[in-house]
Amino acid sequence: MGRPTRVAAASLALLMSWVAEAGVPEILLVIRDHLFFPSTLEIPAGVKVRIVIDNQDSTPEEFESYPLNREKVISGNSRTVVFIGPLPPGEYPFFGEFYPKTAQGKVVVR
Amino acid sequence: MFLDSVLLILQEILEAALLLSVLLAVNLQLGAQVSEARQLGGLWYAAAICCGILGAAAFAWAMPTITGWFNDVGQEVTNAGMHFVIIACLYVHCRLLRKKADSERMRSLGAGLTLITVIALAITREGSEIFLYLRGISGGPSGVTSAVLGAGVACGIGVSTGILLYFGLLSLSRRAALRVGLALLSLFAGNMAAQAVQLLIQADWIPYSAPLWDTSGILQEYTITGQLLYALVGYEATPSLIQVSSYLGAMLLIASTPLFRQHWWSGKISA
Repeated sequence: MGRPTRVAAASLALLMSWVAEAGVPEILLVIRDHLFFPSTLEIPAGVKVRIVIDNQDSTPEEFESYPLNREKVISGNSRTVVFIGPLPPGEYPFFGEFYPKTAQGKVVVR
Repeated sequence: MFLDSVLLILQEILEAALLLSVLLAVNLQLGAQVSEARQLGGLWYAAAICCGILGAAAFAWAMPTITGWFNDVGQEVTNAGMHFVIIACLYVHCRLLRKKADSERMRSLGAGLTLITVIALAITREGSEIFLYLRGISGGPSGVTSAVLGAGVACGIGVSTGILLYFGLLSLSRRAALRVGLALLSLFAGNMAAQAVQLLIQADWIPYSAPLWDTSGILQEYTITGQLLYALVGYEATPSLIQVSSYLGAMLLIASTPLFRQHWWSGKISA
């Protein structure tokens, strides 16, 4: 998938879950082989978002972001939720604290 | 991998080590000062540390279950709860250290129990992340040995920093030591409160509010200085209004105790 397709797919998924959740849009972030998929999450400005983090590795990972002020352990083979926003436009990097070299990503708020 | 481990584990250990050394120094100075009050024995501290390590292992083990509580925000709520209990116990501990109770034994027992709770919970909270980290890297592709080595080095640095602070406080005059020690305890309480509020914001139990200021241009949180300041005074580059106010609130709570007032606001020290 090219980047525009990916962005379009992500936006569509976001929009659909938004409708389903009646208010709080939801976005999926997968951890696999100590990497984040997708590594860039695009969210609209001024909206609270529920990030569902699905850790598909068998080992725990810690989602951490200094600019977002977020820190949460996700056990191996399990999923959990982190709320972010509403945020002003900008880029907010995050990383997996247990594998900071590989597990890198960012939230892009537009 | 080595440096990552050192930094991550140091960050966890520092907070508990600094709190423990300040509590030790304050209690020792007060014990020496108030003749009738028996000093809290070393056994209390040993018991607290053991409880903390066991608690950390149990908390890490139960993390998958705990995370699922309260619609997937159990981790935040439990951690925030632990912080609030630590603040409450610090407050009661400070009160009991000063109060002239009818029953000296009850007073010692109360002070001991609150002390155990504060230290054990602080170690549980920070230690569980170390257990989780070690488990996280144990299944990793490489660098397990260097990570474990890094953990050892971090333990060494963290504990040494605590010991340094302890002897630093003891090298001051008793009055200065108590003043600095109590001020640090109130800062710890503020730090705990701000962290707890931050966790509740993350859990969406408290509404998000924009940062009050942004000092990340001056000092980033992930630098060594940032981490040290975080452990000592709860430094955060982008705190929200509710975090700042809960920080000040918890500080004032400790500062309102007679023990604190006696050492900070009255000229003379009386037993």
